[in-house]
Amino acid sequence: MWVIVEEVRKSIRILLAYPAEVVFWIFSPLLWVIPLVFQGKALVGAFSSTPFGSLAGTDEFIPYVLIGAIISTYMFSAVWSMGNSFRDETYYGTLEHILSSPARPAYILIGKGLYNSILSTSFVIVQLLICVFIFGLDITLVKILPIFMFLLLLIVGLYGIGFMAAALTLLVKEAHGLLHMFEYVLFLFSPIRYPVEVNPITKAISVFIPLTYALNALRGLLLNIEFNFLKNSMILLGIDCVLIPLGLVVFHYVEKRTKTRGTLSDY
Amino acid sequence: MSLRDNRKRMLKTFFHYLRAVNAENIKEWKIELTYKPDFIRQFIEPFVYLFPYFLYGFALLGGRYSEHLRSITGISDMVAYTFIGYLFIGFLNTACWAMGFSLRKEQWFGTLETIFVAPVPRWVYVAGMALHSTCHQGLIMLIQAVVIATFFAIVLQMSGIFMALSIVLLMLLGLYGLGIIVAGLTIALKQWWVVSEALSTLIVVVTPIAYPLAVLPLVLRKMSMFLPTTYGIIGVRHFLLGEELVIGLPTIILRLFLILIVWLTFGMIVFLVMDRYGRKKGSLSIY
Repeated sequence: MWVIVEEVRKSIRILLAYPAEVVFWIFSPLLWVIPLVFQGKALVGAFSSTPFGSLAGTDEFIPYVLIGAIISTYMFSAVWSMGNSFRDETYYGTLEHILSSPARPAYILIGKGLYNSILSTSFVIVQLLICVFIFGLDITLVKILPIFMFLLLLIVGLYGIGFMAAALTLLVKEAHGLLHMFEYVLFLFSPIRYPVEVNPITKAISVFIPLTYALNALRGLLLNIEFNFLKNSMILLGIDCVLIPLGLVVFHYVEKRTKTRGTLSDY
Repeated sequence: MSLRDNRKRMLKTFFHYLRAVNAENIKEWKIELTYKPDFIRQFIEPFVYLFPYFLYGFALLGGRYSEHLRSITGISDMVAYTFIGYLFIGFLNTACWAMGFSLRKEQWFGTLETIFVAPVPRWVYVAGMALHSTCHQGLIMLIQAVVIATFFAIVLQMSGIFMALSIVLLMLLGLYGLGIIVAGLTIALKQWWVVSEALSTLIVVVTPIAYPLAVLPLVLRKMSMFLPTTYGIIGVRHFLLGEELVIGLPTIILRLFLILIVWLTFGMIVFLVMDRYGRKKGSLSIY
């Protein structure tokens, strides 16, 4: 337990050394929405679209992409931050020290995951508050509990993916590009920017991504779009039960392999 | 020393710098080829990056063509319009990421100090990175252009290719100024990627990549007038797709020239000031 707490504390201290990063992560997902708003205006000449509504359940595409952008903060955190967490230790020159300490690497990994979850949730809360006070997003108190439930179910599943991303970095070292591409793949096949029903391939692949169910549920709650509460939560729970053990097993295997082959300190 | 000797010495120095620029270019190719999965990824990624913009357009329109887009630009094909914009904005990554990232990467590798004591000015190093990035990005874009144009049956006006490439060249030189600024700021700010990402996000918002200038609010439209990417993208789209120009062609070329002079000069000043600051403060090796 102390290992996890110390890992979180250490990560927070490193983050506070670069305050510009905090500001960046709060505002950037909101900034990424702006080109989509202008693109929509250029294509349809308004801020609502009937074809969009027939796929997404709402004609208004701005709140749709705004929620997608906010929730994608978790995706960036899981894939990018978790994936790079051990690579950063390599750059700092502390990877070998950490992995040779008398602490189980899984605890260090969970510590990094917990830190990223806390950080992302803080960012998401600030972003939602910006949307409530500036863009007039309506969140009633009764919705807060189910929103947090779906966020929690999403975070757990995504960190299972994050653990695998961390393992990938130990294996191929210079993995930041691959992580970026994985992010783009998630962007392509999950309903972050558009309803995946627009294309049969994206629709088919989105079934395997936890973001799909979380976004359906969260948009349903925030924009009053009809969705199946029980089905989405059960599927997310099922995905979590598979991804977390899978992520830990993959990380354990890769970590052992790099130690056996002596490639831990390779650049 | 005679004038002839002087000229000979200058020429020798020039070739010495050119060799250093090329050495930097070769070194970067070698490093990139060491990480093969990442190297291959760079050729696939632009496609994965581009498709969400197409699919978003399809979701909004329920098809490929937009009457509203045609009424304001003269082009109704959303795919072609978006594709050309995002294809050439790829050079923004060259400036912000590859050039800006270069010094931080050397720091991570532990070779920054070694490089900085080499008997060449600092700009030679950045020029080497610029050369490498342009070759690499150019190759990626060429493959992307051929594949996307074939897959979506996009018809480009081949008669406009020379003018389009000339405009891209001017835009690129302007963007190098930005790359040099980011590289310089990296020396002082260390956390380079925040600078790169913030700058590139702002430029992407203001540049008319997937939408015309007409849809931007007035403030953003005014801001976009200071960016080489604005003139680059609308110029290229005019020559390759026939987009109606809201700014005259001579104005576009003149402004691109002015921007590249200002940005390059400003970039060099920022870089030299930051370099001196870094060494004076002893923060060159600080993480």
